[in-house]
Amino acid sequence: MTDLRLAIQRFDPSRDPKPRMVEYTVPRRQGMTVLEALLFARDYMDHSIGVRFSCRQASCGSCGMKINGRPRLACYTQVDELGGDSVVAQPMDNYAIIKDLVTDLGSFFQKHAQVTPRLVRSDAREQDNPTKEYLIKPDELSKVLQFTYCIKCGLCTSACPTVATDSKFPGPQALAQAYRYTADVRDQGGAERIESLDSEHGIWRCHFAGSCSYVCPKGVDPALGVQLLKRHVMSGKPPHLAEEASKEYRAPQTQT
Amino acid sequence: MRESRLMLIQYTTAVLAVALVAVHLLMQGIITPYSTAISFSTILSIYRSWFYAIFLEALLVVVLVHGFNGLRIILHEWKQTAPWSRWTDIGTLVAIVATVAYGTRTVILAIFGGVSG
Repeated sequence: MTDLRLAIQRFDPSRDPKPRMVEYTVPRRQGMTVLEALLFARDYMDHSIGVRFSCRQASCGSCGMKINGRPRLACYTQVDELGGDSVVAQPMDNYAIIKDLVTDLGSFFQKHAQVTPRLVRSDAREQDNPTKEYLIKPDELSKVLQFTYCIKCGLCTSACPTVATDSKFPGPQALAQAYRYTADVRDQGGAERIESLDSEHGIWRCHFAGSCSYVCPKGVDPALGVQLLKRHVMSGKPPHLAEEASKEYRAPQTQT
Repeated sequence: MRESRLMLIQYTTAVLAVALVAVHLLMQGIITPYSTAISFSTILSIYRSWFYAIFLEALLVVVLVHGFNGLRIILHEWKQTAPWSRWTDIGTLVAIVATVAYGTRTVILAIFGGVSG
């Protein structure tokens, strides 16, 4: 097989005035992922290449980067699927660069935390020490299931044109997670969650470009979640729906 | 006002604007030939019909509210400081009121003879 020309955007904000592209020639093999190519370059050519990774199986979301212009997971992208003999690796857009391909996801996780990404019950005592098991029907689970597959890699937020212009916009990941919990019949925190999102820099700034869904490596459709959340906000139903539905399932379950 | 209310107004005015502009263009083509549709006397006679005057006033309000609210949204995305947001909201409201008032003035003057052909 021919060698792979791997161009990596190098940039250390503490030292470099601006980013530059550096090209490495990496021996190519069948089934090679972009992460493997990057690690080869780092291990055998330049130890200073900054790249973040962990699981190597699209579970941890650590190796998000822009590959040939599109946000992808390096461990989940085979060189062969990109076509051609060259790969261009750059850090994700919409995040500050820590070094080379490593971006600062601090604001991303902060926005994620702001939408209260957990099930909230109105009874704090029951929340902390549940007396029973709260169940969800399969058809109700199916409404939120795809959003539970989010691995928080940040690719969707990187692809979002609104995030690029509005720094206060929560982004597709946070909004999709807000929908995931608000639409869960066991949740009673929808009103508080929506209160913060129904604002001038909140959910309504999504223009449905759909880029988030296009780049999600886990098949989640954040754009759909955002539109469904908009519908819920407009109708004002989610908290009531959640409360009514959860009443049905408050009966204690037999523990075996 | 909550952003969802403002967006409801935005969506409603968008739908209304499509309908009103479509009717307006049809009226221009059906009632008067396009060649004379924008002559001074034709426009004055249209304004002096109560039906058309109300119709055009509605079109004016709907388009201005939609347009300025859209501009407000763009300005909010452009810059994200609290003073900017506040002044953008105030500016939008003032712009809507001022332009609707000016347009309404034209309609009223045309109806009651302040403008003569």
